[in-house]
Amino acid sequence: MKKFFVILLIVSLLVTLGTAKTKIQFWHAMSGWRIELLQNMANDFMEQNPDIEVEVQYTGSYQDTLNKLIAAIKAGTPPNVVQVFEVGTQSIIDGGIAVPMQDMIDKDPSFDIAALLPQVLNYYVVNGKLYSMPFNSSNAIMFYNKTMFEEAGLDPTKPPATYEELMEACKALTKKDANGNIIKSGITWNLHSWFFEQMLALQDAPLVNNNNGRTAPPTKALLNNEAGLKFVKLWKELSDNDYMVNTKKEDWTGARKLFLSQSVGMLITSTSDVSAIMDGAKENGFDVSAAFLPTPADSPQGGIVIGGGSLWMIDGNPDDEMEATWEFVKFMSETKQQIAWHKGTGYFPVRKDAITQLLNEGYYSEYPDHMVAILQLLFSKQNYNTNGAIMGIFPEFRNTFEDNIEKMLNGRMTPEQVLENTEETATELLEEYNELY
Amino acid sequence: MYMKTRKRIDTIFTEIILIIISLIVFAPLLLAITISFQTPDSVFSYPPKLFPTTFYFNNYINAFKAIPFARLLLNSAIIAVAITFGKVISGILAGYAFANFKFFGKRFTFAFLFATLFLPAETIMIVPLFLIMNQLGWVNTYWALTIPFMASATNAFLFRQHFQTFPAELEDAAKIDGAGPMKYFLKILLPLSKSMIAGVVIINFVYSWNMYLWPMIVSMEDKMKTVQVGVKMLISGEGTNNWGVIMAGTLIAVLPTVIVFLSLQNLFVKSLVRSGVKG
Amino acid sequence: MRKLLPYLLLIPTFFVIISFIYIPAFNSFKMSFFRENKFGTKTIYVGLDNFKKVLFDPEYLQIAGFTLLYVGLTVLITIFLAFLLALLLNKNVPGTYIYRALIFIPYAVSPAIAGSLWTFLLDPVAGHVNYFFTNIFGTQIAWLTTRPYAFYALLFATVWKMIPFSLIFYIAGLQSISNDLLESATLDGANAFTKTWKIKFPLVSPITFYLVIMNIINAMFKSFAIIDVMTKGGPGGYTSTMMYKVYLDAFSYQKTGPASAQSVVMFMIMAIVTVVYFVYGERHVHYG
Repeated sequence: MKKFFVILLIVSLLVTLGTAKTKIQFWHAMSGWRIELLQNMANDFMEQNPDIEVEVQYTGSYQDTLNKLIAAIKAGTPPNVVQVFEVGTQSIIDGGIAVPMQDMIDKDPSFDIAALLPQVLNYYVVNGKLYSMPFNSSNAIMFYNKTMFEEAGLDPTKPPATYEELMEACKALTKKDANGNIIKSGITWNLHSWFFEQMLALQDAPLVNNNNGRTAPPTKALLNNEAGLKFVKLWKELSDNDYMVNTKKEDWTGARKLFLSQSVGMLITSTSDVSAIMDGAKENGFDVSAAFLPTPADSPQGGIVIGGGSLWMIDGNPDDEMEATWEFVKFMSETKQQIAWHKGTGYFPVRKDAITQLLNEGYYSEYPDHMVAILQLLFSKQNYNTNGAIMGIFPEFRNTFEDNIEKMLNGRMTPEQVLENTEETATELLEEYNELY
Repeated sequence: MYMKTRKRIDTIFTEIILIIISLIVFAPLLLAITISFQTPDSVFSYPPKLFPTTFYFNNYINAFKAIPFARLLLNSAIIAVAITFGKVISGILAGYAFANFKFFGKRFTFAFLFATLFLPAETIMIVPLFLIMNQLGWVNTYWALTIPFMASATNAFLFRQHFQTFPAELEDAAKIDGAGPMKYFLKILLPLSKSMIAGVVIINFVYSWNMYLWPMIVSMEDKMKTVQVGVKMLISGEGTNNWGVIMAGTLIAVLPTVIVFLSLQNLFVKSLVRSGVKG
Repeated sequence: MRKLLPYLLLIPTFFVIISFIYIPAFNSFKMSFFRENKFGTKTIYVGLDNFKKVLFDPEYLQIAGFTLLYVGLTVLITIFLAFLLALLLNKNVPGTYIYRALIFIPYAVSPAIAGSLWTFLLDPVAGHVNYFFTNIFGTQIAWLTTRPYAFYALLFATVWKMIPFSLIFYIAGLQSISNDLLESATLDGANAFTKTWKIKFPLVSPITFYLVIMNIINAMFKSFAIIDVMTKGGPGGYTSTMMYKVYLDAFSYQKTGPASAQSVVMFMIMAIVTVVYFVYGERHVHYG
């Protein structure tokens, strides 16, 4: 055993001594076939930059990755670049562990920030500074099973656009047996607070105070509003009528399974699933299309908030590594990589020229569903509500909201109570959080 | 004659109950096997299948492609063997001390050891143990994954119980033959404890192979991940539809423990019988 | 030499448990009086605040109540079923070897994998269990997302995972009961029921004593992986146990202070339970 360790140690020493390369560590949270996609990008980068070696590490889910980052910071062995989910933004800024991307951009005239989509930048710019490099951006869209639509007598070219139409469509899609058991149902989305956040922004409503935390750290939650109530009520009504099948908390795969097994006719999920859904629909023999998220007919029009992740440069690494990291981050935001990533996953490109190029190549006439999320984003009004809330307590906030939704679905809370309680608890959590920073 | 029919009815009845229970207990794994051999387009067919209808081996190949299973299996094996080895030895030594010696502080040390069972080990791991690993520079090494688990109260307890079943006369006889306590331990006690050791080896191997939270926390890089972490990578893959691959991966992770367990289970039960577990 | 030897024998074990259990546990105890931000850049002393927050929180008390129910029921059911199964498997009917192997297998499966397998079987629409239920009973149940079924599902999966460990010990224990004793009981006119509960069960009581405490520890501490995979403590916190809450606070939210306070509370509860159990239980154990 000991011998093995000694040999391992010697071998690894030799490897490090033998090369004068700058080695940087890239941690990401993209599982499955996307690991290979990222590795290929890193390989391309290393070919272009033979003096830099990028170690690509899949570090588990977004939450696991953030946990590992925190652990590594405490251990004093930070990685160089980490992909963090959008709702981790405030935590990392407060932790003071990252070099703001803006600082690197200001030093490097070769990088033009105007090439990036402003709607995406609006999320990651905090206090006038771009903190992290947008990489994989998404928003929520609605997939619908055209085959099931036809069978139910619905027009497969007219997906529901309002809550009212959604209710009607779900009613038509739902089928029960003699005992009242569901054979087919209307819709599902996994039990996730993200959809609530999206639906609030779509109706131009805030989540927290201080302009959604964008002009100062938030001190109070503001989600108990009419927009929120409309969505939560819709959720309850759909579920009570068995028009909707609910999964457990944050069960993305479970919701996708319900849709791909044709147990439900519609699925609201991230656009990052678009490739997987298209392939899955083909395997299971049905036609599918993507559509915008429905909104209440009489609500003010807002816009969608972006989701997904961005790349953070972690402080505390030697200068040469910082330089190499910046090169890598820049590379990852380039047109070629953004196009490959978009095609392979469904996350939309964060650059304007990537979209133009794809359009000219005729990509979107062949894959129109890849474009739905982009259009939905471009049609969005831009203000604090649609830029998205930032706060340090996002994971707990989401858990609180999801717990309360589950209580509502089990008849132990009314939609009003869900919002009241979530707002109260979130405000308490914010107070506790602010004491520590 | 009456007794014989009764016995037969009793046997048939027992058979039926055992068949039903075995089926229920085995159902999840049977399902995993079935799905792991289905082609992607037949996973969701309704009604759900209980037995494989196709033999699609590609799922296994794809599982090996999706995550570096070979490396993960090697890591898990190294870790499980190292922990088992360390834990069994420390357990035997401590068990021998508690069973065969009278010494100052015996009751206290035993209680001190036993109390560790009531500490929620997982919480201790998440922050404080991680910080200690960090001070030692062990994060992301085999040391962190093995050394902290190389002793446990359960092992010491089981071996204490076991050694207590040997009559004191045995040691006295050895003493008369001129054997010191260590010689008696190595030449007489240990050879007589082979099957008990086998049993404890199973428990420890399964335990360390299935460790989950700690490897998640302490292995930062692929080269230190274990199979359990790998399966989690497959299952939580937000873009994964392919249940065949997930189940294939799950079975690969479960197989080593099932093999170790089934091949040694008879020995294990026998050892427990011989050691007179009843008292 | 003989005087020194036991101490030498204990060195490896105590080195490990002191360095890697007691020292971190002590640090954890210390942390329970502080609150710290995620990256550990600011720490404030809060006295007993973390404890107060836990003990006066109605939600936490509800979690404690559920934990009691969950641990109590899983342990009781596990012990009872394991003993009955051991009786059946010790009859040595043809095929016993296969049955035993199949029933032992869950022991080798890790809790997280066990949870995900059951999740698949319990899928509300496409799962096998509901297919069976709809066809036999004509009902369909959302096992993992509704009260009280989420609890039943969890109970079932936990017991499934825990039975083999107890079963092994009972099989061995029953095999070591001498046949003479049972035969003489038969001659005395004891029926099967009396033989089982008045003779066999008391004779294996030392095993039961050991298994109860081991199963309590398992259900209390190790079960969070099954919960995390199957129900995530839901619906609405209904199936959250104390350990799962600690896991969330410590691992998902990095609230080390409150999590440490909860750990201390759990340790106290376990210590009290154990002392009571030993004092009361030892009297009732029948050492044959």
